Amino acid sequence: MANVSVAAEWQLLYNRYYRKPELYPMRWKNIDLSRNKVACAPFGGPIAVIRDDSKIVQLYSESALRKLRIFTSSGVLISDTVWKNPGGRLIGMSWTEDQALICIVQDGTVYRYNIHAELIEPNVTLGKECFEQNVVECVFWGNGVVCLTEGGLLFCIPDFKVMSPCQLAETGAEDLPNCMAVIEPKYTVSGNVEVLVGIGDGILIVDEDSVQRVEGEMVQGPVQKLVVSWDGKYLAIFTHDGRILVTDINFKGVLLEYNCESALPPEQLAWCGLDSVLLYWDDTPLLMVGPRGDPVHYFYDEPLLLIPECDGVRILSNSILEFLQRVPDSTVTIFKIGSTSPAALLYDALDHFDRRSAKADENLRLIQKSLPEAVEACIDAAGHEFDVSRQRSLLRAASYGQAFCSNFQRDRIQEMCKTLRVLNAVRDPEIGIPLSIKQYKLLTPSVLIARLINAHRHLLALRISEYIGMNQEVVIMHWACSKITASLAIPDATQLEILLDKLKLCRGISYAAVAAHADKNGRRKLAAMLVEHEPRSSKQVPLLLSIGEEDTALMKATESGDTDLVYLVLFHIWQKRQPLEFFGMIQARPLPRDLFISYARCYKHEFLKDFFLSTGQLQEVAFLLWKESWEPGKNPMASKGSPLHGPRIKLIDKAQHLFAETKEHTFESKAAEEHAKLLRIQHELEVSTKQAIFVDSSISDTIRTCIVLGNHRAAMKVKNEFKVSEKRWYWLKVFALATIRDWEALEKFSKEKRPPIGYRPFVEACIDADEKGEALKYIPKLADLRERAEAYARIGMAKEAADAASQAKDGELLGRLKLTFQQNAAASSLFDTLRDRLSFPSVS
Amino acid sequence: MAQIPNLDNSPLNLKSLREQSLRDLVKILKDIRGKKCLVVEPKLGGTLSLIIQTSLLKEYGIELRHLSAESVQTDCSKVVYLVPSQRDLMKSISSHVHDDISKGLQREYFIYFVPRREVQCERILEEEKVHHLITIGEYPLYLVPLDEDILSFELDLAYNQCQVDGDTGSLWHIAKAIHKLESTFGVIPNVRTKGKASGIVSDILDRMHTEEPMNSPDMALSEINTLILIDREVDMVTPMCSQLTYEGLLDEFLRINNGSVELDSTIMGVQQEGKKMKVPLNSSDKLFKEIRDLNFEVVVQVLKQKATSMKEDYTEITTASQTVSELKDFVKKLNSLPEMTRHINLAQHLSTFTSKPSFLAKLDMEHTIIEASSYDICFEYIEEMIHKQEPLVNLLRLLILFSVTNSGLPKKQFDYLRQALFTLYGFEHMATLNNLEKAGLFKKQESKSNWLTVKRALQLVVEDTDTANPDDIAYVFSGYAPLSIRLVHNAVRSGWRPMEEILKLLPGPHTETKRAGFTSSPSFGILQGASNGLDKIADGRRSLVLVVFIGGITFAEIAALRFLSAQEGMASDLIIGTTKIVNGHSLVETFFETFG
Repeated sequence: MANVSVAAEWQLLYNRYYRKPELYPMRWKNIDLSRNKVACAPFGGPIAVIRDDSKIVQLYSESALRKLRIFTSSGVLISDTVWKNPGGRLIGMSWTEDQALICIVQDGTVYRYNIHAELIEPNVTLGKECFEQNVVECVFWGNGVVCLTEGGLLFCIPDFKVMSPCQLAETGAEDLPNCMAVIEPKYTVSGNVEVLVGIGDGILIVDEDSVQRVEGEMVQGPVQKLVVSWDGKYLAIFTHDGRILVTDINFKGVLLEYNCESALPPEQLAWCGLDSVLLYWDDTPLLMVGPRGDPVHYFYDEPLLLIPECDGVRILSNSILEFLQRVPDSTVTIFKIGSTSPAALLYDALDHFDRRSAKADENLRLIQKSLPEAVEACIDAAGHEFDVSRQRSLLRAASYGQAFCSNFQRDRIQEMCKTLRVLNAVRDPEIGIPLSIKQYKLLTPSVLIARLINAHRHLLALRISEYIGMNQEVVIMHWACSKITASLAIPDATQLEILLDKLKLCRGISYAAVAAHADKNGRRKLAAMLVEHEPRSSKQVPLLLSIGEEDTALMKATESGDTDLVYLVLFHIWQKRQPLEFFGMIQARPLPRDLFISYARCYKHEFLKDFFLSTGQLQEVAFLLWKESWEPGKNPMASKGSPLHGPRIKLIDKAQHLFAETKEHTFESKAAEEHAKLLRIQHELEVSTKQAIFVDSSISDTIRTCIVLGNHRAAMKVKNEFKVSEKRWYWLKVFALATIRDWEALEKFSKEKRPPIGYRPFVEACIDADEKGEALKYIPKLADLRERAEAYARIGMAKEAADAASQAKDGELLGRLKLTFQQNAAASSLFDTLRDRLSFPSVS
Repeated sequence: MAQIPNLDNSPLNLKSLREQSLRDLVKILKDIRGKKCLVVEPKLGGTLSLIIQTSLLKEYGIELRHLSAESVQTDCSKVVYLVPSQRDLMKSISSHVHDDISKGLQREYFIYFVPRREVQCERILEEEKVHHLITIGEYPLYLVPLDEDILSFELDLAYNQCQVDGDTGSLWHIAKAIHKLESTFGVIPNVRTKGKASGIVSDILDRMHTEEPMNSPDMALSEINTLILIDREVDMVTPMCSQLTYEGLLDEFLRINNGSVELDSTIMGVQQEGKKMKVPLNSSDKLFKEIRDLNFEVVVQVLKQKATSMKEDYTEITTASQTVSELKDFVKKLNSLPEMTRHINLAQHLSTFTSKPSFLAKLDMEHTIIEASSYDICFEYIEEMIHKQEPLVNLLRLLILFSVTNSGLPKKQFDYLRQALFTLYGFEHMATLNNLEKAGLFKKQESKSNWLTVKRALQLVVEDTDTANPDDIAYVFSGYAPLSIRLVHNAVRSGWRPMEEILKLLPGPHTETKRAGFTSSPSFGILQGASNGLDKIADGRRSLVLVVFIGGITFAEIAALRFLSAQEGMASDLIIGTTKIVNGHSLVETFFETFG
């Protein structure tokens, strides 16, 4: 049966099967791992190779200058560069999570390269001590590094994103450690990095401020090699007497112990998933040790490099890349020799079905009940396969079985197909990212896409993100920026077209961000053209300003209707340009102009005056001056002593002259003139009366104050000065006299001549002052009967009111008056009778 | 009863909006660790009282202060300012900081701008050299539910800023607020606007849609069917008239602020001399909900009737023997007693104002002006007001009404009145008059007035209104049907088309658009959207119309809108959005700018 051949490739370690499918034949030529320092990124990442300067190697037909070369996992060259960095020997080299290559040289300088072998500035140094003492060893983890100096000091960069080195506590030991391992910050209790140092006869745990010795029986004698598992929970230890120990990270309990019969420590010690440990000496077979049972030996005739992954180990040799992993359970149930599990039977049934054998049906009947789990197992197993044809046959088996299942989650197969398509696409040797499904899930699709972009695989990234329904913006944005950087020679218009063609694929993409990138690359014109397409004004406008397109910025901000943006542009131009230039820009644009005026009105009076003068709006300047004329009065300190009216009048006079310049403002001009005159008179009055109560009151208030003070001559004078009309004069005087309750004077005044305003104001003034007797003097003089009636009513004389109303023959009025006298029954009936009498004739 | 209105009966889920605002605020306060002093701008503080109870703030270790010119006295080392983005406030904050520095106090300062930070404010902080000392944040409060059918954008000065200064910042704010509503309740498919500002808001809104398309699938269903934007400029007549509904009168005489009035406790029958008390007024008060929109005349009767019936019940209880269930009913009725007393007290207080002859004379004059039949009488009345030096606001209110209905006054009279005003009230009012002129509220006549045509065509004056059983919105002003609401009514019923001729006579352009909404999203979106639209009509649910007044709405107009939506044959519920609840006084006051 076909199944047999699958399992034949497996090795058994105790009760677990392991397999190591070949991922790629390496496409590189003449790379000998033993001559080179090699850094392989996990998750199928790139491989950096550089000639090892700590070894004496023979040069073939190659330059004496070392070259840093970066390959994909399949051995395709991505980029290379000549290594010319000073600082001594290259000690450590590793990839960060963001796929930047970190290279640490002897003097503690840290060089960073991107995947295109371009140096990322600036270089960082680990500090003075490292410089003086030399770095001898580096231990990396995903996002940081610990370095050991010749003097035995430990330095750490806890986060490559921040790049700030710090020193760890001193161990105090005289010897250099035998070995080191790091527990990543995310797995420690403190959240800080902890370093396990195999030194002298034991192990120390070192962190930023403490050193702690590991107690316990299992570590007796020097430790030669230490490796922490990828989940930070277990530790593999190679002891001086050639034993390999696996313990829990707190050194509690030995989970595995095996005597390797070699006191020489292995060159490489690596975890394979969490189930076994690999040991590699360069002249013996690769050894795999599990918790129980005999170890497995793998034979190679080439130097190897072990690349630990979360679910296995990739084994890199000069010619091939393999993936050693524990065979997943689902795969075991299907392909294990002699397996009669439902999944195996289902897989077999498909085979029969394809061969048109009736046994297919028999198999299906056999597993009818457990069909769903069989289907599930086939799908799962398909996911773990690297071989496309086997993926296919497993999925076909699943799909075949699913047809007979009534209640199976149908999108499981579809989902797996999608995932596998993505995986197969990135596993292609050209791309060279051999992710397993578990790694893919752990890495997450968005990180995968970010890595593809980073490697300039934009098309694939775009296709994948489209396929799995992710936002394509990241990809297109990165593409556009890379495109701009890469093709500085393409003329602006052509470049714009190329970019727009792709940018339009993604709605809501930030054209401004692309434009900003173009600007940074010295393509100001291209930036201007791009930013034109940005729909979001809030992004567009600031960029326009930064590339000096102030006019356009002002226009766009105005169009957006967002006043805050307009202000942003206004302040920018205001600061940068000459006032006249600034005025010219805003003058013809209503919104910016009005906003400027509104702002300047509060805070920049003088500047605003300049603006109005430049635009010829003299009346506005006049208004400002007039307004300022009140300012001195507001300050109480200034009012002491010196007469204020002088400067105030000067300002008003100035305003008046400006108003007079234009025909339309004769009214204002006259008003200003009167105001100035009023201030002068008020000042004189204050001097003559020695009372500071006149300034800033109105004309009529001034007159009233005069009357109240009994200074009728002065009142008359003000009246004449401002040509106050007789009518207004009467109103004023009547109420002023009533205020001081000078009833005699009031009566005299009423008799001077027939009042031009009639007697009603007299009546009202008296009633308001609650002087009924005085009011009665004037009520009979009221010509209008209705007014007379109401006046009587207001002082509560119902009968007189009723009489007047009936004389006026006004029924409605009677009704209303009745309401006012509601409480008074007698008066109320009086109104009723009167009204009846009134309405009677109208009925007849 | 709380000042925070209960929103359970709202046609939209306004509660979730309010809760979101509350969460945002709490997050800001929590994110600033430790004890802090919260300094709130007083008006904003009033607004916040509709969202959060001040007692709750104390739980977050907060000392609450109102922003004023005086520096902040507190032991807290952290001072958090919560202020609207207004330039004039920056000076006080800067002076506080300078004050602290001069005293050697070291404090951490935070400013949270409502609803967003603005360059013009930060610029002043920079000029005052305090910008670098302050951490700046935003509290995106764009609107507040005032009641179950009213949303306020809390823009007191919107009308004045637009009309006088040409500062359209508030319009952007309104558009943003509507945009935010749409992101919760779906894109509103129909938009009708009247007036310049409305057009601008609608344009900005469209822009926001292209800038940030809403394409998530659950946006397909729109809860609001139509948006009607009315610029206050279109109808400045209505707010200048004295409101005659119960709530309107309360606002005219006592000023309702954030859903409550503050008055002497003696008025409410509490014997505490000189103490002020707050009386909440919102639909959580069932009796108030019933009577708020009635004409005040009717309210007095209703209250009287209710009181009598209660008294009758009481005598029955005391005289005859009652079954337990009857007693229960009675006790239930007694529960409404506090509400009854409250409104009887208020109504009594109001009638002391409404029975004054001067009030009646003013009403009379307003109607005469609206009738636009006897120009001279009106002019003389106003002249006399000036002679008597009546309060300037009262005078200006009537003056505006007069000027607007006549589309300005002839130059001679315009100058005459202005001159009289200066003579009697002083030259410092130049600026106020100038503002009013810029806003077109008190100006020189330049063209013939359309008022008579408009009045006739829209039947603004309705004779013989029965205030007790009204059949027309004119009951809210006892005979004058507010122009603005007539417009809204037509817009809801049939759109602008049938009345284009009239609209042309009113200020500003009008537009009517149907928004496609989902044109650029994948095709299934359109299908879904379309079917939803059909479903809605089929299941007989009432469509929802959002009526937005840019520049404020009066309680009388709100009453009229509620009256409309309660009419038979009206297939829509109305939700009202407004920059602020206004009345003639508060509107006129925004134009006040005295020199000196």
